[in-house]
Amino acid sequence: MQVDVVLFAHFSGFQPDGKGGRHARTFELAEGTTIADVIAMIGLPDEPRVIFVNSRHAPEERELRQGDRLAIFPPVAGG
Amino acid sequence: MREILRVDMSTLTISREPLPEKWARYGGRALTSAIVFTEVPADADTMGPDNKLVIAPGLLGGTSAPNGGRLSIGAKSPLTGGLKESNSGGTAAHALGKMGVAAIIIEGVPADKTVAYALRLFPDGTVDLVPRHDLKGLGTYETVAVAKGIEAAEHRYSEKVSFIVNGPAGEMGMKSAGIAITDPHGYPNRFAGRGGLGAVMGTKGIKLIAIFEEGLKGKEHADKDAFIAAVRKFSGALTTHAVTSQALPTFGTNVLANIINEAGGYPTRNFSSGQFEGVDGISGETMREITVERGGNVKHGCHAGCVIQCSRYYVDKDGHYMTKGPEYESAWSLGADCGISDMDTVAALDRKCGDIGIDTIEAGVMIAVYMASGKIAFGDGAAAMAVLDEIGRGTDLGKVFGDGAEATGLHFGVKNIPVVKHQGLPAYDPRPIQGIGVTYATSTQGADHTAGYTITSNVLAVGGTVDPLKPEGQAALSQGLQIATAMLDSLGFCIFVAFAVLDMPEAFEAIHEMAAAHTGDEWDADALMQLGKETLTYERLFNEHAGFTNADDRLPKFFLEEPLAPHDAVFTVTDEELDSVHSFVPEVAAQLGIK
Repeated sequence: MQVDVVLFAHFSGFQPDGKGGRHARTFELAEGTTIADVIAMIGLPDEPRVIFVNSRHAPEERELRQGDRLAIFPPVAGG
Repeated sequence: MREILRVDMSTLTISREPLPEKWARYGGRALTSAIVFTEVPADADTMGPDNKLVIAPGLLGGTSAPNGGRLSIGAKSPLTGGLKESNSGGTAAHALGKMGVAAIIIEGVPADKTVAYALRLFPDGTVDLVPRHDLKGLGTYETVAVAKGIEAAEHRYSEKVSFIVNGPAGEMGMKSAGIAITDPHGYPNRFAGRGGLGAVMGTKGIKLIAIFEEGLKGKEHADKDAFIAAVRKFSGALTTHAVTSQALPTFGTNVLANIINEAGGYPTRNFSSGQFEGVDGISGETMREITVERGGNVKHGCHAGCVIQCSRYYVDKDGHYMTKGPEYESAWSLGADCGISDMDTVAALDRKCGDIGIDTIEAGVMIAVYMASGKIAFGDGAAAMAVLDEIGRGTDLGKVFGDGAEATGLHFGVKNIPVVKHQGLPAYDPRPIQGIGVTYATSTQGADHTAGYTITSNVLAVGGTVDPLKPEGQAALSQGLQIATAMLDSLGFCIFVAFAVLDMPEAFEAIHEMAAAHTGDEWDADALMQLGKETLTYERLFNEHAGFTNADDRLPKFFLEEPLAPHDAVFTVTDEELDSVHSFVPEVAAQLGIK
């Protein structure tokens, strides 16, 4: 299945192509792949993060589905 | 001893009085709101002699409390018609605190409406009021440059001076006019922006306030050792929490753009969509990349003692200062809400707002409303700049624009005008982020995100989580944050300390430990919350006296009726829940002996 992965702030440097940026990359993943699997695959540091799948918050154990958009942020705030 | 400095512009006299004992625990917002409640008739003409402009550092202003240098400016708001506290960074609050000034109250109006005065406070305690007609009508940046030149010529100038400056929009009485405060480098780029307080300053005939602080020492503490220990504890928390130690200093407040957009709550083209396809161009990440490439500063504090350092300067292609790095709200209002995705365009609009002295949130929301009328197109940066030029020149049309989003929307017959209590909504759509809708609807300040920043739990997973798309729990979340914010605003803290305070119990403890060690009074967690409740009670009662009812604590109807993409959400918190937010007010009013 294909899943779009977007990484923000200092996480963007962890995109597998090494090019950074906030644009989506399409990942080819096996059925049953979870968010935690993707995090391990790209080697995100072990620190807090905020995760969205299709613009809704999602837990790391969530299994991804064909066509999902996965967005991962480090803790951010402002206002 | 703290004292009140009273400046009567009708008689051009200055007097001093001790801070009343009943307000000994107040500073910042608690004090400005208590003074306005007590001294300004609720039915006062906001532009007349009975309105008062009150300027106060927080209770810990003038100390080394980390991030404790915020300034509160209060009055009856020309924009909302209610009690307003507008809060700013910059260097003025600590300077006033060190002088022992609890508040400056500016009252009356000068007989001669053509005059412009400078109010000057010197380190030896002298205060004077001098005519400065040459400054009349000047932009905020030029005002500061000219004023520095004059003071230098009089040998009273030093690098250590803070200016509080009114722009031409305020002098012309426009309801979106803010008041600028200089930052550590002397740029007038910090703003008490919201609620039209620049218009009040304009009626008083005061163009600028200069506070000379050469040689002033930090305030004494009742228990110095305990204060230093609490400062270390607080500073340790702020420099540990991921938000206050990494995201904010690296990317600034505009780091929010992408996450609010991802959550579907980034108001786009006058609140007609929750996601903006051009968000990356105006995001905090892009702003940092551009600024670093051009050699601009990307990390500093807006006042001494800031350990978060979320400020930055935006520079042009040649590396010259343009404006402060536009904050999240400004980049959104002048960007996404207007359909503009170019950072240089946003920065130019931000600079223009700063120079003429108008609130960037109200300005962007107003321009987006004007765009929605079809008179100019969404995305047209040049047309947006032309709108701001009209304001600066004070044309008839400019006066409509300068009175804000509602005035502009009504003038041009726009259906969806995003305001509460006549004040434009900030950068979070209340349909997919319902907690912030409760704050917008119920805040004493009109639509104001800072009044109870539920984005923390709704989106950012700071201080727990509350599902942003559901109505459950939003009223309680907003109430708690509105009380806590009023407390932080009264002590003089930057509200960004809340990100650490909400997650780290020791940070909250350090706040009452600092208050107790500094003042020698008893402070604990309950006392902090009581301070917040008392502050809100003054504001709520004043607004009631001014004619506000529960019917004013509502969002515009389109947020309840028109679903917003991508979640197809509408605002569903009930009126009963909204009306529960101020449930504590009668009890606290009775405790205070006020009605």
